[in-house]
Amino acid sequence: MIRERSIYIDGARFLSADPHSSLGEFLRSAYRMLETDYPKFHKMDGLCKAVFIAVELMTRQTGPLPTDTALIFSNRSSSFLADHKHASDIFRPDGVVASPATFVYTLPNIAMGEISIRHQLHSENVFFIFDSYNPEFLAPYVNTLLHAGRAERVISGWTEVTEERCDLFLCVAGAKGPAPHTIEHLKRLYDKEHE
Amino acid sequence: MEGKTRIDMSRDVLIAGDYLITPLGAGTALNFRKVMEGESAVKQAYLPEMAEHPLFLARIDEGLLPPLLRDDERYTRLEKFFIAALEALIAEHDIPKDGRTLVLLSTTKGNISLLNNPRGGFPEERIYLSTMAEVIRRRIGFENPVIPLSNACISGALALTVAGQLMQSGRYEYAVVVGGDEISRFIVSGFHAFQALADAPCRPFDRDRNGLNLGEAVAAAYLTRIPKPDTVRILGTGSFNDANHISGPSRTGEGLYRSIRAAMAEADSPAIDFISAHGTATRYNDDMESIALHRCGLTAVPLHSLKGYYGHTLGASGLLETILGIHSLKTGRLIPSLGFVQEGTTHPLNIIRQATAERPLRTFLKTASGFGGCNIATVFQQTGQHG
Repeated sequence: MIRERSIYIDGARFLSADPHSSLGEFLRSAYRMLETDYPKFHKMDGLCKAVFIAVELMTRQTGPLPTDTALIFSNRSSSFLADHKHASDIFRPDGVVASPATFVYTLPNIAMGEISIRHQLHSENVFFIFDSYNPEFLAPYVNTLLHAGRAERVISGWTEVTEERCDLFLCVAGAKGPAPHTIEHLKRLYDKEHE
Repeated sequence: MEGKTRIDMSRDVLIAGDYLITPLGAGTALNFRKVMEGESAVKQAYLPEMAEHPLFLARIDEGLLPPLLRDDERYTRLEKFFIAALEALIAEHDIPKDGRTLVLLSTTKGNISLLNNPRGGFPEERIYLSTMAEVIRRRIGFENPVIPLSNACISGALALTVAGQLMQSGRYEYAVVVGGDEISRFIVSGFHAFQALADAPCRPFDRDRNGLNLGEAVAAAYLTRIPKPDTVRILGTGSFNDANHISGPSRTGEGLYRSIRAAMAEADSPAIDFISAHGTATRYNDDMESIALHRCGLTAVPLHSLKGYYGHTLGASGLLETILGIHSLKTGRLIPSLGFVQEGTTHPLNIIRQATAERPLRTFLKTASGFGGCNIATVFQQTGQHG
């Protein structure tokens, strides 16, 4: 879970950066703290970087993910950061200067693509858009996937990353685990870390 | 309207209705007829607000809209097309708008043409897909929220299977799935930066293909679990990421291969009468599809891409092309793959080159792939006259 400039894993704080630091600085310091070597990180946009860091930390708790770990993410702003960057590239007084490296990130599902590459996940990816985190919709959908045997595990949650907000909450669900994957439990976890 | 007292809920999710709004016109029957006559929506245009160079693309003419809606300043251009398609579909099938009906909206960029480019007095907030979805929900009068699904070019096909899974879990009795996207400078400039745009009408699977054409469409489908005649069931589906590259397809077609295999396994390996491929006409995509299909032993199955008729309609494409495939089943007529002249993929495919006489067609496979390494394959089968 990432809430503005703080990162928590299973409720324990991993990093608390200066609340006035920029998103870029924050994500870079988090990456350094991970002590991992993944050069592709630096090409990613803010949304993908935040998701990368969160999943990297999760796998340190869970161990490597089974290849059929489905990814069911959601947010309100889609690929806000990349969208704004591309839009400013193309509405310039001196003419259009679009770059494929920016444009490729103007889709919210790219973050799931980056995670798939990093963790070698050949699995189902679905990206939904809601006004706010919606466990009432996501939890039953995730449970349906698990019960139907379409995935052995599912990482799902909320990945809202814009210039102003960094609100990310992801959890892994599977057939076995310490806590039930229910709407109530998810809401409690999400709200608790809002305090 | 069926009585509610004793309904035998089929486990199967059935596609019971559809509606299309495209540059070729409004209504599925009209679109199917024009496609069978060989008409393409792709035209050359010079649109300075979108690009400095001439474009080959397919844009919907707003003149297609009912006049009151067309002139209604409360809605953006894309919203009007969504609304028109939904209103037509709902009226034709008397679809309930209450809590029993799931509504999914597939789009890659929605109202993105408003970003840094305000028009019509719409606030920037309208760019948020959930805001656009709520505007549509209120207009149509759905009780449930309209839920956007944004998963690159597989969105339309994916939304159908997600709806199917949610209905099979028992949460919903009906679903309306609608998909659409609008061409804008945002999108054109991006594909141009990738050098992905063809400088002529696109040629899927052809040896000389050199890129895609962009297109606009809105496609809508109605799903139910109530057994009805003349419907099509989702027999099996699979969706697997390549885990290889975010903008190029896997050279071995890994994700698509797994998707097709899973869909066929779930469907219990039926005989496939034709394949509606993604076929964007880029060098990489079409080649990758031939590799995946070869790995699945399906290269002899008659195959088309419909992108020669409509261009690549992004968030609409999976749904638009599925709906035309369904009409192919119902009419017994295979749709030729427009733009193909000569073999040009690693593995030769059985491209449908011309219209054939009517023949019994029961089952087809739809494939799609998208940025982010995503893929999907779905098997559809006619239920036949007895539902």
